[in-house]
Amino acid sequence: MAVEIAYELPYTQWNWRIGVYIAMIGIASGAYLMGYLADVRSWRLGEREHGRIAKYGYLVGLAGLAIGPPVLLSHLATPFRAMMIPLTMTNLGSWMALGAYMLMFFGLGTFIMFVWVAFGRERPHGTTTPDADEAVAADGGRDVASDGGSESGPAQAATGGDTAGGIRRVFNRIGLLGAVDTVADRTRPTETVRLGIGALFGLFAAGVLIYSAMAYGSGPTERVALWDPTFLVPVQIFGGLAAGLTVAVGLAALERGRAGRAIQQYALVAAGLLAATLVAVLATVVLLPEQVPAAEPAVDTLLSTQATLFVGGAVVAGLVVPIVLLLGGVFGQRREAISPTGTAAALVAAGALVIVGKVALALAYLLAAEFTPMPLPM
Amino acid sequence: MSTQDNGTARVIPNWESCIDCGACEVACQRTWDLPPESDRIQVVALEHGTGDETNKPMQCYNCTDAPCIDVCPTDALHYSQSDTVRVDAGMCIGCHYCGVGCPFGAPQYPDDEVPEAQEEHLMGAKSNGLMDKCTTCEPRQEEGLEPACASECPTDALLFGTPEELSEKLEEDGVSTPFNDEAAEIVFGDDADMITGE
Repeated sequence: MAVEIAYELPYTQWNWRIGVYIAMIGIASGAYLMGYLADVRSWRLGEREHGRIAKYGYLVGLAGLAIGPPVLLSHLATPFRAMMIPLTMTNLGSWMALGAYMLMFFGLGTFIMFVWVAFGRERPHGTTTPDADEAVAADGGRDVASDGGSESGPAQAATGGDTAGGIRRVFNRIGLLGAVDTVADRTRPTETVRLGIGALFGLFAAGVLIYSAMAYGSGPTERVALWDPTFLVPVQIFGGLAAGLTVAVGLAALERGRAGRAIQQYALVAAGLLAATLVAVLATVVLLPEQVPAAEPAVDTLLSTQATLFVGGAVVAGLVVPIVLLLGGVFGQRREAISPTGTAAALVAAGALVIVGKVALALAYLLAAEFTPMPLPM
Repeated sequence: MSTQDNGTARVIPNWESCIDCGACEVACQRTWDLPPESDRIQVVALEHGTGDETNKPMQCYNCTDAPCIDVCPTDALHYSQSDTVRVDAGMCIGCHYCGVGCPFGAPQYPDDEVPEAQEEHLMGAKSNGLMDKCTTCEPRQEEGLEPACASECPTDALLFGTPEELSEKLEEDGVSTPFNDEAAEIVFGDDADMITGE
Protein backbone atom coordinates (compact mmCIF):
# COMPACT_ATOMS: atom_id res chain seq x y z
CA MET A 1 0.00 0.00 0.00
CA ALA A 2 1.39 3.39 -0.93
CA VAL A 3 1.51 5.81 1.96
CA GLU A 4 2.81 9.31 2.45
CA ILE A 5 5.32 10.36 5.03
CA ALA A 6 3.71 12.99 7.22
CA TYR A 7 6.62 14.17 9.28
CA GLU A 8 7.26 17.50 7.56
CA LEU A 9 3.83 19.09 7.78
CA PRO A 10 3.41 21.98 7.78
CA TYR A 11 6.29 22.84 5.51
CA THR A 12 9.16 24.04 7.66
CA GLN A 13 12.22 24.51 5.48
CA TRP A 14 11.67 28.24 4.97
CA ASN A 15 10.23 30.95 7.19
CA TRP A 16 8.87 34.49 6.81
CA ARG A 17 12.22 35.84 5.68
CA ILE A 18 11.97 33.98 2.39
CA GLY A 19 8.49 35.41 1.86
CA VAL A 20 9.69 38.98 2.39
CA TYR A 21 12.67 38.33 0.11
CA ILE A 22 10.54 36.95 -2.70
CA ALA A 23 8.02 39.78 -2.38
CA MET A 24 10.70 42.47 -2.39
CA ILE A 25 12.66 41.21 -5.39
CA GLY A 26 9.36 40.84 -7.26
CA ILE A 27 8.38 44.44 -6.53
CA ALA A 28 11.90 45.67 -7.31
CA SER A 29 12.17 43.94 -10.68
CA GLY A 30 8.61 44.86 -11.67
CA ALA A 31 9.21 48.49 -10.73
CA TYR A 32 12.42 48.62 -12.76
CA LEU A 33 10.79 47.15 -15.85
CA MET A 34 7.77 49.45 -15.73
CA GLY A 35 10.02 52.39 -14.87
CA TYR A 36 12.16 51.61 -17.87
CA LEU A 37 9.14 51.57 -20.15
CA ALA A 38 8.14 54.95 -18.74
CA ASP A 39 11.71 56.14 -19.31
CA VAL A 40 11.46 55.21 -22.98
CA ARG A 41 8.06 56.87 -23.30
CA SER A 42 9.36 60.01 -21.67
CA TRP A 43 12.23 60.10 -24.15
CA ARG A 44 9.93 59.54 -27.12
CA LEU A 45 7.16 61.90 -26.02
CA GLY A 46 9.29 64.47 -24.24
CA GLU A 47 6.95 64.57 -21.26
CA ARG A 48 8.50 64.82 -17.81
CA GLU A 49 5.68 63.07 -15.95
CA HIS A 50 6.62 59.81 -17.63
CA GLY A 51 10.11 60.45 -16.37
CA ARG A 52 8.79 60.70 -12.85
CA ILE A 53 7.43 57.16 -13.13
CA ALA A 54 10.83 56.09 -14.48
CA LYS A 55 12.67 57.76 -11.61
CA TYR A 56 10.43 56.22 -8.98
CA GLY A 57 10.50 52.87 -10.74
CA TYR A 58 14.27 52.80 -10.42
CA LEU A 59 14.05 54.08 -6.85
CA VAL A 60 11.57 51.37 -5.88
CA GLY A 61 13.91 48.86 -7.55
CA LEU A 62 16.75 50.08 -5.36
CA ALA A 63 14.59 50.08 -2.23
CA GLY A 64 13.36 46.54 -2.88
CA LEU A 65 16.91 45.34 -3.31
CA ALA A 66 17.97 47.19 -0.17
CA ILE A 67 15.40 45.22 1.83
CA GLY A 68 14.96 41.80 0.17
CA PRO A 69 18.46 40.32 -0.21
CA PRO A 70 19.63 41.38 3.28
CA VAL A 71 16.56 39.69 4.74
CA LEU A 72 17.44 36.54 2.78
CA LEU A 73 21.03 36.68 4.00
CA SER A 74 19.76 36.81 7.58
CA HIS A 75 18.11 33.44 6.90
CA LEU A 76 21.32 31.77 5.80
CA ALA A 77 23.70 29.98 8.12
CA THR A 78 26.73 31.62 6.54
CA PRO A 79 25.65 34.97 5.03
CA PHE A 80 29.15 36.28 4.43
CA ARG A 81 30.09 33.14 2.55
CA ALA A 82 26.95 33.52 0.43
CA MET A 83 27.83 37.13 -0.39
CA MET A 84 31.01 36.02 -2.15
CA ILE A 85 28.87 35.15 -5.15
CA PRO A 86 31.51 34.53 -7.85
CA LEU A 87 33.37 32.22 -5.50
CA THR A 88 30.45 30.34 -4.00
CA MET A 89 27.56 30.29 -6.49
CA THR A 90 29.13 27.82 -8.91
CA ASN A 91 26.19 25.58 -9.81
CA LEU A 92 24.47 27.45 -12.62
CA GLY A 93 21.92 24.66 -12.86
CA SER A 94 20.45 25.92 -9.58
CA TRP A 95 17.88 28.70 -9.64
CA MET A 96 19.36 30.14 -6.48
CA ALA A 97 22.77 30.55 -8.08
CA LEU A 98 21.21 32.00 -11.24
CA GLY A 99 19.12 34.32 -9.10
CA ALA A 100 22.16 35.53 -7.18
CA TYR A 101 23.96 36.53 -10.37
CA MET A 102 20.86 38.14 -11.86
CA LEU A 103 20.26 40.10 -8.67
CA MET A 104 23.87 41.27 -8.68
CA PHE A 105 23.70 42.66 -12.22
CA PHE A 106 20.15 43.93 -11.73
CA GLY A 107 21.25 45.80 -8.60
CA LEU A 108 24.14 47.39 -10.47
CA GLY A 109 21.85 48.41 -13.33
CA THR A 110 19.18 49.85 -11.07
CA PHE A 111 21.78 51.90 -9.22
CA ILE A 112 23.31 53.26 -12.41
CA MET A 113 19.98 54.09 -14.03
CA PHE A 114 18.73 55.81 -10.88
CA VAL A 115 21.87 57.90 -10.53
CA TRP A 116 21.71 58.94 -14.17
CA VAL A 117 18.04 59.92 -13.87
CA ALA A 118 18.02 61.49 -10.40
CA PHE A 119 21.38 63.27 -10.32
CA GLY A 120 23.19 65.75 -12.49
CA ARG A 121 22.34 69.17 -13.78
CA GLU A 122 21.69 67.68 -17.20
CA ARG A 123 19.62 64.77 -15.96
CA PRO A 124 16.84 63.58 -18.25
CA HIS A 125 13.22 64.42 -17.39
CA GLY A 126 14.36 67.03 -14.91
CA THR A 127 15.43 70.09 -16.85
CA THR A 128 13.57 71.47 -19.78
CA THR A 129 11.11 68.65 -20.32
CA PRO A 130 7.57 69.89 -19.69
CA ASP A 131 4.79 68.09 -17.96
CA ALA A 132 2.05 67.13 -20.35
CA ASP A 133 -0.50 69.03 -18.32
CA GLU A 134 1.84 71.95 -17.64
CA ALA A 135 2.79 73.34 -21.01
CA VAL A 136 3.77 76.56 -19.31
CA ALA A 137 5.36 76.24 -15.92
CA ALA A 138 4.49 78.48 -13.04
CA ASP A 139 7.61 80.54 -13.41
CA GLY A 140 6.83 81.48 -16.94
CA GLY A 141 8.42 78.65 -18.77
CA ARG A 142 11.51 77.89 -16.76
CA ASP A 143 11.17 74.54 -15.06
CA VAL A 144 11.54 75.14 -11.37
CA ALA A 145 12.99 71.66 -10.99
CA SER A 146 15.82 72.45 -13.31
CA ASP A 147 17.95 73.83 -10.54
CA GLY A 148 20.03 70.76 -10.15
CA GLY A 149 19.15 70.87 -6.52
CA SER A 150 22.05 72.96 -5.40
CA GLU A 151 20.63 76.44 -5.57
CA SER A 152 18.62 78.09 -2.89
CA GLY A 153 15.21 79.65 -3.15
CA PRO A 154 12.13 78.47 -5.03
CA ALA A 155 14.04 76.15 -7.29
CA GLN A 156 15.48 74.18 -4.40
CA ALA A 157 12.07 74.01 -2.79
CA ALA A 158 10.76 72.40 -5.94
CA THR A 159 13.32 69.64 -6.01
CA GLY A 160 13.35 69.15 -2.29
CA GLY A 161 9.76 68.05 -2.33
CA ASP A 162 10.17 64.87 -4.33
CA THR A 163 11.76 61.69 -3.13
CA ALA A 164 14.68 61.94 -5.47
CA GLY A 165 14.88 65.56 -4.45
CA GLY A 166 14.84 64.34 -0.88
CA ILE A 167 17.80 62.17 -1.65
CA ARG A 168 19.42 65.09 -3.39
CA ARG A 169 18.80 67.15 -0.31
CA VAL A 170 20.46 64.51 1.84
CA PHE A 171 23.45 64.48 -0.48
CA ASN A 172 23.48 68.26 -0.42
CA ARG A 173 23.54 68.33 3.36
CA ILE A 174 26.49 65.99 3.55
CA GLY A 175 28.24 67.98 0.88
CA LEU A 176 28.27 65.31 -1.80
CA LEU A 177 25.57 66.54 -4.13
CA GLY A 178 27.91 68.55 -6.33
CA ALA A 179 30.30 65.63 -6.68
CA VAL A 180 27.55 63.08 -7.41
CA ASP A 181 25.93 65.46 -9.90
CA THR A 182 29.26 65.86 -11.62
CA VAL A 183 29.86 62.11 -11.71
CA ALA A 184 26.34 61.53 -13.07
CA ASP A 185 26.75 64.16 -15.76
CA ARG A 186 30.19 62.97 -16.77
CA THR A 187 29.31 59.28 -16.92
CA ARG A 188 25.87 59.59 -18.45
CA PRO A 189 25.97 58.61 -22.12
CA THR A 190 23.64 59.89 -24.80
CA GLU A 191 19.97 59.15 -24.25
CA THR A 192 19.97 56.42 -26.88
CA VAL A 193 22.93 54.66 -25.33
CA ARG A 194 21.57 55.17 -21.81
CA LEU A 195 18.28 53.57 -22.76
CA GLY A 196 20.16 50.77 -24.50
CA ILE A 197 22.09 50.09 -21.32
CA GLY A 198 18.82 50.26 -19.41
CA ALA A 199 17.35 47.63 -21.74
CA LEU A 200 20.34 45.37 -21.11
CA PHE A 201 19.83 45.61 -17.37
CA GLY A 202 16.13 45.14 -18.06
CA LEU A 203 16.94 41.61 -19.17
CA PHE A 204 18.37 40.93 -15.72
CA ALA A 205 15.30 42.55 -14.15
CA ALA A 206 13.09 40.22 -16.19
CA GLY A 207 15.25 37.31 -15.05
CA VAL A 208 14.82 38.36 -11.42
CA LEU A 209 11.06 38.60 -11.95
CA ILE A 210 10.97 35.00 -13.18
CA TYR A 211 13.35 34.01 -10.41
CA SER A 212 10.87 35.46 -7.90
CA ALA A 213 8.67 32.53 -8.90
CA MET A 214 11.35 29.89 -9.33
CA ALA A 215 12.96 30.81 -6.01
CA TYR A 216 10.12 28.89 -4.42
CA GLY A 217 11.00 25.92 -6.58
CA SER A 218 11.41 22.51 -5.07
CA GLY A 219 13.84 21.20 -7.64
CA PRO A 220 13.39 18.61 -10.35
CA THR A 221 11.08 16.45 -8.24
CA GLU A 222 8.68 19.33 -7.39
CA ARG A 223 7.53 17.97 -4.07
CA VAL A 224 5.61 21.15 -3.11
CA ALA A 225 2.52 21.02 -5.28
CA LEU A 226 1.31 24.54 -4.41
CA TRP A 227 4.38 25.97 -6.11
CA ASP A 228 3.59 24.45 -9.49
CA PRO A 229 5.45 26.74 -11.93
CA THR A 230 2.60 26.72 -14.47
CA PHE A 231 0.43 28.62 -12.00
CA LEU A 232 3.08 30.36 -9.91
CA VAL A 233 5.05 32.06 -12.70
CA PRO A 234 2.08 34.11 -14.02
CA VAL A 235 1.15 35.13 -10.48
CA GLN A 236 4.66 36.35 -9.78
CA ILE A 237 5.19 38.08 -13.13
CA PHE A 238 1.90 39.95 -13.13
CA GLY A 239 2.15 40.54 -9.40
CA GLY A 240 5.66 41.97 -9.60
CA LEU A 241 4.88 44.27 -12.53
CA ALA A 242 1.62 45.40 -10.92
CA ALA A 243 3.08 46.04 -7.48
CA GLY A 244 6.19 47.77 -8.81
CA LEU A 245 4.19 50.12 -11.04
CA THR A 246 1.56 50.84 -8.40
CA VAL A 247 4.21 51.83 -5.87
CA ALA A 248 5.94 54.05 -8.44
CA VAL A 249 2.61 55.68 -9.32
CA GLY A 250 1.89 56.21 -5.64
CA LEU A 251 5.24 57.91 -5.07
CA ALA A 252 4.83 60.10 -8.16
CA ALA A 253 1.39 61.15 -6.91
CA LEU A 254 2.82 61.78 -3.46
CA GLU A 255 5.53 64.00 -4.90
CA ARG A 256 3.14 66.14 -6.91
CA GLY A 257 0.16 66.08 -4.56
CA ARG A 258 -2.02 65.29 -7.53
CA ALA A 259 -2.10 62.99 -10.55
CA GLY A 260 -1.49 64.46 -13.97
CA ARG A 261 -2.62 62.85 -17.18
CA ALA A 262 0.39 60.59 -17.54
CA ILE A 263 0.25 59.39 -13.95
CA GLN A 264 -3.41 58.61 -14.45
CA GLN A 265 -2.52 56.51 -17.48
CA TYR A 266 0.01 54.54 -15.49
CA ALA A 267 -2.52 54.13 -12.69
CA LEU A 268 -4.91 52.53 -15.16
CA VAL A 269 -2.17 50.23 -16.45
CA ALA A 270 -1.36 49.30 -12.86
CA ALA A 271 -5.02 48.50 -12.24
CA GLY A 272 -5.02 46.26 -15.30
CA LEU A 273 -1.91 44.42 -14.13
CA LEU A 274 -3.42 43.99 -10.66
CA ALA A 275 -6.55 42.56 -12.27
CA ALA A 276 -4.40 40.13 -14.26
CA THR A 277 -2.68 39.11 -11.03
CA LEU A 278 -6.06 38.57 -9.42
CA VAL A 279 -7.12 36.32 -12.29
CA ALA A 280 -3.88 34.33 -11.99
CA VAL A 281 -4.39 33.91 -8.25
CA LEU A 282 -8.02 32.85 -8.70
CA ALA A 283 -6.94 30.40 -11.40
CA THR A 284 -4.51 28.90 -8.91
CA VAL A 285 -7.25 28.43 -6.34
CA VAL A 286 -9.77 27.01 -8.78
CA LEU A 287 -7.73 25.08 -11.34
CA LEU A 288 -4.56 23.98 -9.54
CA PRO A 289 -6.31 21.32 -7.39
CA GLU A 290 -7.88 19.92 -10.55
CA GLN A 291 -4.60 19.82 -12.44
CA VAL A 292 -2.42 18.78 -9.52
CA PRO A 293 -4.48 16.88 -6.92
CA ALA A 294 -1.57 16.91 -4.45
CA ALA A 295 -2.04 20.69 -4.17
CA GLU A 296 -5.60 20.41 -2.86
CA PRO A 297 -4.67 20.38 0.88
CA ALA A 298 -2.47 23.46 0.44
CA VAL A 299 -5.19 25.35 -1.44
CA ASP A 300 -7.64 24.39 1.30
CA THR A 301 -5.18 25.78 3.83
CA LEU A 302 -4.98 29.04 1.88
CA LEU A 303 -8.74 29.36 2.18
CA SER A 304 -9.04 28.27 5.81
CA THR A 305 -6.09 28.41 8.20
CA GLN A 306 -4.32 31.11 6.17
CA ALA A 307 -7.49 32.87 5.01
CA THR A 308 -6.69 36.07 6.91
CA LEU A 309 -3.33 36.33 5.24
CA PHE A 310 -4.32 35.07 1.80
CA VAL A 311 -7.88 36.28 1.31
CA GLY A 312 -7.74 39.30 3.58
CA GLY A 313 -4.16 40.44 3.08
CA ALA A 314 -3.16 39.27 -0.38
CA VAL A 315 -6.42 39.24 -2.36
CA VAL A 316 -8.63 41.90 -0.79
CA ALA A 317 -6.13 44.38 0.68
CA GLY A 318 -3.39 43.72 -1.87
CA LEU A 319 -5.35 43.39 -5.11
CA VAL A 320 -9.07 44.24 -4.93
CA VAL A 321 -8.88 47.41 -2.84
CA PRO A 322 -5.91 48.85 -4.79
CA ILE A 323 -7.77 48.24 -8.07
CA VAL A 324 -10.77 50.11 -6.68
CA LEU A 325 -8.56 52.94 -5.40
CA LEU A 326 -6.70 53.30 -8.69
CA LEU A 327 -9.81 53.21 -10.88
CA GLY A 328 -11.88 55.27 -8.44
CA GLY A 329 -9.17 57.86 -8.07
CA VAL A 330 -8.56 58.30 -11.79
CA PHE A 331 -12.16 58.27 -12.98
CA GLY A 332 -13.29 60.22 -9.94
CA GLN A 333 -10.89 63.02 -10.82
CA ARG A 334 -11.80 62.94 -14.50
CA ARG A 335 -15.46 63.32 -13.61
CA GLU A 336 -14.56 65.93 -11.02
CA ALA A 337 -16.14 63.83 -8.30
CA ILE A 338 -12.86 63.66 -6.39
CA SER A 339 -10.38 66.46 -5.81
CA PRO A 340 -6.87 66.09 -7.26
CA THR A 341 -5.57 65.78 -3.73
CA GLY A 342 -8.06 63.02 -3.03
CA THR A 343 -6.95 61.17 -6.15
CA ALA A 344 -3.33 61.48 -5.13
CA ALA A 345 -4.20 60.11 -1.70
CA ALA A 346 -6.00 57.18 -3.31
CA LEU A 347 -2.98 56.37 -5.48
CA VAL A 348 -0.62 56.64 -2.53
CA ALA A 349 -2.86 54.33 -0.49
CA ALA A 350 -2.94 51.85 -3.37
CA GLY A 351 0.85 51.89 -3.52
CA ALA A 352 1.12 51.16 0.19
CA LEU A 353 -1.50 48.40 0.07
CA VAL A 354 0.11 46.49 -2.80
CA ILE A 355 3.32 46.21 -0.79
CA VAL A 356 1.34 44.72 2.09
CA GLY A 357 -0.50 42.44 -0.32
CA LYS A 358 2.64 41.25 -2.08
CA VAL A 359 4.28 40.31 1.20
CA ALA A 360 1.05 38.68 2.41
CA LEU A 361 0.79 36.62 -0.79
CA ALA A 362 4.39 35.43 -0.54
CA LEU A 363 3.95 34.50 3.12
CA ALA A 364 0.67 32.71 2.43
CA TYR A 365 2.31 30.65 -0.32
CA LEU A 366 5.01 29.63 2.14
CA LEU A 367 2.83 28.97 5.16
CA ALA A 368 0.22 26.98 3.25
CA ALA A 369 2.80 24.91 1.37
CA GLU A 370 2.95 21.23 2.14
CA PHE A 371 5.86 19.01 1.40
CA THR A 372 4.66 16.01 -0.57
CA PRO A 373 7.21 13.28 0.05
CA MET A 374 7.79 10.51 -2.41
CA PRO A 375 4.99 7.97 -1.87
CA LEU A 376 6.53 4.81 -0.51
CA PRO A 377 4.93 1.38 -0.50
CA MET A 378 4.99 -0.59 2.73
CA MET B 1 29.88 -5.88 1.58
CA SER B 2 30.06 -2.85 -0.61
CA THR B 3 32.14 -2.58 -3.68
CA GLN B 4 32.17 0.19 -6.23
CA ASP B 5 32.49 -2.38 -8.98
CA ASN B 6 29.07 -3.83 -8.17
CA GLY B 7 27.29 -0.52 -7.56
CA THR B 8 26.98 2.01 -4.78
CA ALA B 9 26.37 0.60 -1.31
CA ARG B 10 23.43 2.15 0.55
CA VAL B 11 21.36 1.73 3.66
CA ILE B 12 17.68 1.10 2.97
CA PRO B 13 14.91 0.21 5.39
CA ASN B 14 13.21 -3.11 5.80
CA TRP B 15 10.14 -1.47 7.23
CA GLU B 16 8.37 -4.66 8.09
CA SER B 17 11.01 -5.39 10.73
CA CYS B 18 11.25 -1.97 12.40
CA ILE B 19 10.04 -1.86 15.99
CA ASP B 20 10.64 1.87 16.53
CA CYS B 21 13.28 1.36 19.21
CA GLY B 22 15.45 4.31 18.12
CA ALA B 23 18.67 2.31 18.36
CA CYS B 24 19.70 3.53 14.89
CA GLU B 25 19.47 7.17 15.97
CA VAL B 26 21.50 6.54 19.09
CA ALA B 27 24.11 4.51 17.22
CA CYS B 28 24.57 7.28 14.67
CA GLN B 29 24.88 10.07 17.22
CA ARG B 30 27.24 8.10 19.46
CA THR B 31 29.48 6.92 16.62
CA TRP B 32 29.99 10.39 15.17
CA ASP B 33 29.72 12.44 18.35
CA LEU B 34 26.79 14.39 16.94
CA PRO B 35 24.84 17.03 18.88
CA PRO B 36 21.56 15.79 20.40
CA GLU B 37 19.33 17.49 17.83
CA SER B 38 21.19 15.92 14.92
CA ASP B 39 19.13 13.37 13.00
CA ARG B 40 21.22 11.91 10.22
CA ILE B 41 18.78 9.05 10.61
CA GLN B 42 15.41 9.54 12.22
CA VAL B 43 12.34 7.47 12.90
CA VAL B 44 9.44 9.20 11.16
CA ALA B 45 5.68 8.84 11.37
CA LEU B 46 3.78 7.39 8.44
CA GLU B 47 0.07 7.87 7.98
CA HIS B 48 0.23 10.31 10.83
CA GLY B 49 -3.01 10.73 12.72
CA THR B 50 -4.66 7.64 11.29
CA GLY B 51 -5.32 4.23 12.78
CA ASP B 52 -2.52 2.87 10.61
CA GLU B 53 0.10 5.27 11.96
CA THR B 54 3.48 3.65 12.16
CA ASN B 55 7.07 4.77 12.62
CA LYS B 56 9.96 3.88 10.34
CA PRO B 57 13.63 4.88 9.92
CA MET B 58 14.50 7.38 7.19
CA GLN B 59 17.85 8.75 6.11
CA CYS B 60 19.65 9.89 2.97
CA TYR B 61 19.57 7.19 0.29
CA ASN B 62 22.49 8.68 -1.64
CA CYS B 63 20.41 8.89 -4.79
CA THR B 64 21.94 8.12 -8.14
CA ASP B 65 20.06 11.11 -9.59
CA ALA B 66 20.23 13.20 -6.44
CA PRO B 67 17.85 16.21 -6.65
CA CYS B 68 19.76 17.87 -3.82
CA ILE B 69 22.91 18.05 -5.93
CA ASP B 70 20.96 19.55 -8.82
CA VAL B 71 19.63 22.44 -6.73
CA CYS B 72 22.61 23.18 -4.47
CA PRO B 73 23.76 26.67 -5.58
CA THR B 74 27.30 26.37 -4.26
CA ASP B 75 28.14 22.80 -5.27
CA ALA B 76 28.56 22.01 -1.59
CA LEU B 77 26.75 18.76 -2.35
CA HIS B 78 28.57 16.40 -4.62
CA TYR B 79 29.26 12.74 -5.25
CA SER B 80 32.15 11.16 -3.42
CA GLN B 81 34.52 8.70 -5.03
CA SER B 82 32.20 5.93 -3.89
CA ASP B 83 29.26 7.68 -5.61
CA THR B 84 27.56 8.57 -2.36
CA VAL B 85 26.25 12.10 -1.78
CA ARG B 86 28.48 14.20 0.46
CA VAL B 87 28.25 17.75 1.79
CA ASP B 88 31.25 20.05 2.07
CA ALA B 89 30.71 22.08 5.24
CA GLY B 90 33.16 24.65 3.99
CA MET B 91 30.97 25.45 0.99
CA CYS B 92 27.44 25.09 2.36
CA ILE B 93 25.60 28.38 3.03
CA GLY B 94 22.62 26.83 4.82
CA CYS B 95 20.05 27.97 2.23
CA HIS B 96 17.83 24.85 2.64
CA TYR B 97 17.43 24.45 -1.13
CA CYS B 98 18.47 20.81 -0.81
CA GLY B 99 15.82 20.35 1.86
CA VAL B 100 13.22 21.67 -0.56
CA GLY B 101 14.50 19.49 -3.38
CA CYS B 102 14.92 16.17 -1.56
CA PRO B 103 11.85 13.97 -2.07
CA PHE B 104 12.60 12.05 1.13
CA GLY B 105 13.15 14.93 3.54
CA ALA B 106 16.66 13.75 4.36
CA PRO B 107 18.65 17.00 4.67
CA GLN B 108 18.68 18.52 8.12
CA TYR B 109 20.10 21.69 9.59
CA PRO B 110 20.96 21.34 13.27
CA ASP B 111 21.32 24.74 14.90
CA ASP B 112 23.64 23.80 17.73
CA GLU B 113 26.74 25.94 17.81
CA VAL B 114 29.96 24.00 17.68
CA PRO B 115 33.54 25.19 17.39
CA GLU B 116 34.74 25.93 13.89
CA ALA B 117 37.07 22.93 13.96
CA GLN B 118 34.14 20.61 14.48
CA GLU B 119 32.02 22.38 11.92
CA GLU B 120 34.69 21.65 9.35
CA HIS B 121 34.62 17.97 10.26
CA LEU B 122 35.45 15.91 7.23
CA MET B 123 32.33 13.77 7.52
CA GLY B 124 29.67 16.45 7.15
CA ALA B 125 28.53 19.77 8.56
CA LYS B 126 27.22 18.53 11.89
CA SER B 127 25.85 21.83 13.11
CA ASN B 128 25.77 25.66 13.02
CA GLY B 129 22.70 25.68 10.76
CA LEU B 130 24.53 24.06 7.87
CA MET B 131 23.16 21.08 5.97
CA ASP B 132 24.03 17.70 7.40
CA LYS B 133 23.18 14.21 6.28
CA CYS B 134 23.99 10.54 6.50
CA THR B 135 27.51 9.68 5.32
CA THR B 136 26.94 5.91 5.18
CA CYS B 137 29.77 5.72 7.73
CA GLU B 138 32.45 5.55 5.07
CA PRO B 139 35.31 5.35 7.61
CA ARG B 140 33.64 2.30 9.14
CA GLN B 141 33.26 0.75 5.70
CA GLU B 142 36.98 1.20 5.11
CA GLU B 143 37.49 -0.95 8.23
CA GLY B 144 35.17 -3.60 6.86
CA LEU B 145 32.27 -2.58 9.10
CA GLU B 146 28.70 -1.82 8.20
CA PRO B 147 27.25 1.64 8.94
CA ALA B 148 26.53 2.05 12.65
CA CYS B 149 22.76 2.18 12.26
CA ALA B 150 22.54 -1.05 10.25
CA SER B 151 25.09 -2.71 12.49
CA GLU B 152 23.22 -1.96 15.72
CA CYS B 153 19.62 -2.41 14.55
CA PRO B 154 18.33 -5.28 16.69
CA THR B 155 15.78 -6.45 14.15
CA ASP B 156 17.75 -6.03 10.90
CA ALA B 157 15.34 -3.34 9.81
CA LEU B 158 18.17 -1.50 8.09
CA LEU B 159 19.75 -3.28 5.17
CA PHE B 160 23.13 -2.29 3.77
CA GLY B 161 24.69 -3.23 0.46
CA THR B 162 24.89 -2.73 -3.26
CA PRO B 163 21.66 -2.92 -5.28
CA GLU B 164 22.39 -6.57 -6.05
CA GLU B 165 23.08 -7.37 -2.39
CA LEU B 166 20.00 -5.47 -1.26
CA SER B 167 17.87 -7.32 -3.78
CA GLU B 168 19.13 -10.64 -2.46
CA LYS B 169 18.48 -9.62 1.17
CA LEU B 170 14.96 -8.48 0.40
CA GLU B 171 14.33 -11.75 -1.38
CA GLU B 172 15.82 -13.79 1.49
CA ASP B 173 13.63 -12.01 4.02
CA GLY B 174 10.61 -12.36 1.77
CA VAL B 175 9.75 -8.68 2.07
CA SER B 176 8.74 -6.11 -0.54
CA THR B 177 10.85 -3.19 -1.64
CA PRO B 178 10.36 0.03 0.32
CA PHE B 179 10.50 2.06 -2.91
CA ASN B 180 7.93 2.64 -5.60
CA ASP B 181 9.02 2.91 -9.23
CA GLU B 182 9.60 6.68 -9.18
CA ALA B 183 11.56 6.59 -5.96
CA ALA B 184 13.61 3.56 -7.04
CA GLU B 185 14.53 5.32 -10.29
CA ILE B 186 15.82 8.35 -8.41
CA VAL B 187 17.69 6.34 -5.80
CA PHE B 188 19.09 3.46 -7.85
CA GLY B 189 19.08 4.79 -11.42
CA ASP B 190 19.74 1.99 -13.90
CA ASP B 191 19.76 -0.55 -11.05
CA ALA B 192 16.18 0.25 -10.04
CA ASP B 193 14.87 -2.95 -11.58
CA MET B 194 16.91 -5.01 -9.11
CA ILE B 195 15.10 -3.39 -6.21
CA THR B 196 11.61 -3.23 -7.64
CA GLY B 197 11.89 -6.77 -8.93
CA GLU B 198 10.68 -5.88 -12.42
